[in-house]
Amino acid sequence: MHDISAAITTRFRVAATGCIIGLLVVAVAPWLLDTYLTNILIRTLFLATVVMTVDILWGSVGILTFGQSAFFGIGAYACGLIFTHYGFGPGWALAGLALGIGVGAVVAAATGWLAFFHGSLPLYASIITLALPIVLTQVIFSGGNFTGSSSGLSGFPTYYWDLRIWFWTAGTFLVLTTTAAWLLVRSDFGRVMVAIRENEERCAYLGIPVSRIKIMLMIASAVIASAAGFGYAAFSNVVAPELASFQLGTEFLIWTALGGRGTLLGPIFAALGIDTMSSWLSGTMPFLWKLLIGVVFVAVIVLLPRGFAPLVGGLFRRILPVRTAGAPARVLVPDTRSRLGQGADDQKPPLRIEHLSRRYGSLSVLTDVTMTGRASHLLGIIGPNGAGKTTLMRCISDGSERSGGKVEINGAEIGRGAPQDIVALGVGRSFQNTNLFDTLTVADCLLLARYRIDGARLFRSSVGIALPEPALDILRATGLDQRLADETGNLSHGMKRGLELAMVLATEPSVLLLDEPTAGLTRPERMVIGKVLGRLTRDYGLCIVLIEHDLDFVREISDRVVVLHQGSILMEGTVDEVVSSELVRSVYAGHHVEAAQ
Amino acid sequence: MAILVLDILTTAAILFAVSAGLLIILGVMKLINFAHGAFLTVGGYMAYLNGAAGLSPWLSIPLAAGVGFLGGLVIERVIVRPLYDRPLDAILATWGLGIVIGQLITLGFGRGVQFAPNPISGTTELFGVDYSAYRLAVAVIAVLLVVALSALLKLTRFGLNARAVIMNERLARGLGIDSTRVRALTFGLGAALACAAGALITPLISVDPNMGLPWLVNSFMLVMVAGVSFPSLLVASLILGGAQVVVSTYANPILGGMTIVVAAALVLRISPKGFSRA
Repeated sequence: MHDISAAITTRFRVAATGCIIGLLVVAVAPWLLDTYLTNILIRTLFLATVVMTVDILWGSVGILTFGQSAFFGIGAYACGLIFTHYGFGPGWALAGLALGIGVGAVVAAATGWLAFFHGSLPLYASIITLALPIVLTQVIFSGGNFTGSSSGLSGFPTYYWDLRIWFWTAGTFLVLTTTAAWLLVRSDFGRVMVAIRENEERCAYLGIPVSRIKIMLMIASAVIASAAGFGYAAFSNVVAPELASFQLGTEFLIWTALGGRGTLLGPIFAALGIDTMSSWLSGTMPFLWKLLIGVVFVAVIVLLPRGFAPLVGGLFRRILPVRTAGAPARVLVPDTRSRLGQGADDQKPPLRIEHLSRRYGSLSVLTDVTMTGRASHLLGIIGPNGAGKTTLMRCISDGSERSGGKVEINGAEIGRGAPQDIVALGVGRSFQNTNLFDTLTVADCLLLARYRIDGARLFRSSVGIALPEPALDILRATGLDQRLADETGNLSHGMKRGLELAMVLATEPSVLLLDEPTAGLTRPERMVIGKVLGRLTRDYGLCIVLIEHDLDFVREISDRVVVLHQGSILMEGTVDEVVSSELVRSVYAGHHVEAAQ
Repeated sequence: MAILVLDILTTAAILFAVSAGLLIILGVMKLINFAHGAFLTVGGYMAYLNGAAGLSPWLSIPLAAGVGFLGGLVIERVIVRPLYDRPLDAILATWGLGIVIGQLITLGFGRGVQFAPNPISGTTELFGVDYSAYRLAVAVIAVLLVVALSALLKLTRFGLNARAVIMNERLARGLGIDSTRVRALTFGLGAALACAAGALITPLISVDPNMGLPWLVNSFMLVMVAGVSFPSLLVASLILGGAQVVVSTYANPILGGMTIVVAAALVLRISPKGFSRA
């Protein structure tokens, strides 16, 4: 226990140290720099804050956004418009800041709603973020005298503070937001963000509301960008459509890429360096400088996808070997409040499927499937390849999949719900292919699976991961409880399957969908899984639906078996009835069904 | 009314011609070419140079296509090929390439606006109204382009290979189709189409180092909505281009300028596959 809390304390100490060093540099810098450079740097510090938010969105969560400039522009115009048209003073300044942040947040929420929904492509989200600044600049252009159209607004009253005060304001803003972001990406919530970047689909099936998290992050970064834009405008006393343009948005991306996406500090230093250099050199050789940036950018994208930060970091570590604040070791604890199996009721079937069908164009994969899964029952689904078994699983766990029919989970219809909504109704699904997050550790994966129930701490890490008993059993039986800190990519196939099952159980489902959970496992490993499944139905009252090819395994653990053939239910009955059936035998042996009848 | 209809038809034709190069690259290579706008600009400057050299204005289109094809092959080899597995990075790299091309043009020609000579000047009478002859010519050329591109994809060996790569690249490679070659040729073709389109539209507008940018965004949206078939690109151009003309005529041109972007984004939100299912 001591090590764990030590690791967490170390992380906070690193953050605090970094924050204090940053603040000291900011405090001292204005006395060392000349007026010209201070002037440039104040603007650049505001821009660097926006770049930091771009890095959170792109580097951590994987949203390639061209539109962060739009929020910057909204903040800037809130300042310009209020001070020009309405009034000036501390009250008006606060009102302007609040307006900028509020409008930014609303626009971000609307953009997020457009861009992120279950099944949206990353490319589509990028297009929406690209459209946003284009639409916004058109709105500014059409604003006439109110927005100053293409020439913008300038010369409005503002605070003509001493340059040092402006520098401190901008610098403190950058240091504080960056410290918060640094803690965020290293927290439990930060692990969820990485998981979304790595495998969004899998996150949804663990009940993580992927789209909502993306929208929330979009809003949070819009708030910071709007505030930065407000500061920028108040200092520079000029707002122009360029501040909201998609060119500036792509420039943010360029700085992020050059600095090293996902490193947080890299993009900030890249922004500070490149933008300062630009202001300097664009006077003497404007086009050549931009050309050079373009060439370097293309070269970095092609040759150094991680940007310059890893190079600099590696050099730094060679000179000064420092102990990095690693991920804290975690412990598994039994979930005392686990509700696994408590809703089970023999009278109300947890899974009811009526007249389900699935068509791809003219191809019918499932037709008129009607079946019921009862609590404390294990229902085996067998059938030749291409019978529609996996499609059936997909139709139960994702509301947008089926073409017709009804699926009810614990009495609630799934409608067109996304996978995470159906997980909330009580469905847990494991996949045919082990489908894990290769770069995350075993503990991280379990943490993800608990997100729906326990949430994730925003700026901290929790030590214990509470899991229901059967999940702990599997982890102990497969030896995974000793390897919590290992990356899942390094696990054996059997362990991956075990982890997969433990993750599904951690979501505390009442209907468990298992797609060939024992494929490729050894005999003893199968026994372990079979025993756990038996316990889950017996002691926890779960309804388990199992796709399996191994008839002996099915016979050992199933209560009833459904035979799927060419997309419809051929037969339903006890294992022995099914196995002794002529019909089923002929299907498996490849004879015509009609002949057998 | 006749003018409105002609405006819609010619606008759709121009949009189609401008987007075709982007579409073919997306279809075969699954890659968004953000340098498309810069390619259009290069085509525009080819038309300008062609005019300055005193050659026939009609020559500018094949000239631009040739330059685009060769340039495209080189760019594909150096920048695009290493990024096949990283589609989002390819967007950024081609955007960076666009910046480089734009700056090179600025260094060579300055930031000023230039003009290219118009092959057919004046108006012609159609349906009882006088209408710009060159816009009509562009519409005819765009129709020919649809026919030629469809024929290329449906009737030639390259087209068959390209369609195989579109449908299932792994399988195509297994059947002995050199998908690397198909991709290289496709990028060359896409760049050639973009440059030719730049040269084609230049007589209607002026040339400056950023002329491609507004077109890039619109054609990008059209291609997203259209999916990967030329007929559906034509449909998308007609519907969204028509909406743009109507909004510009009856509301105001600035709103018209964002019609395609907004409409395309909404279409994609409601039906993520756009028009390609039709």
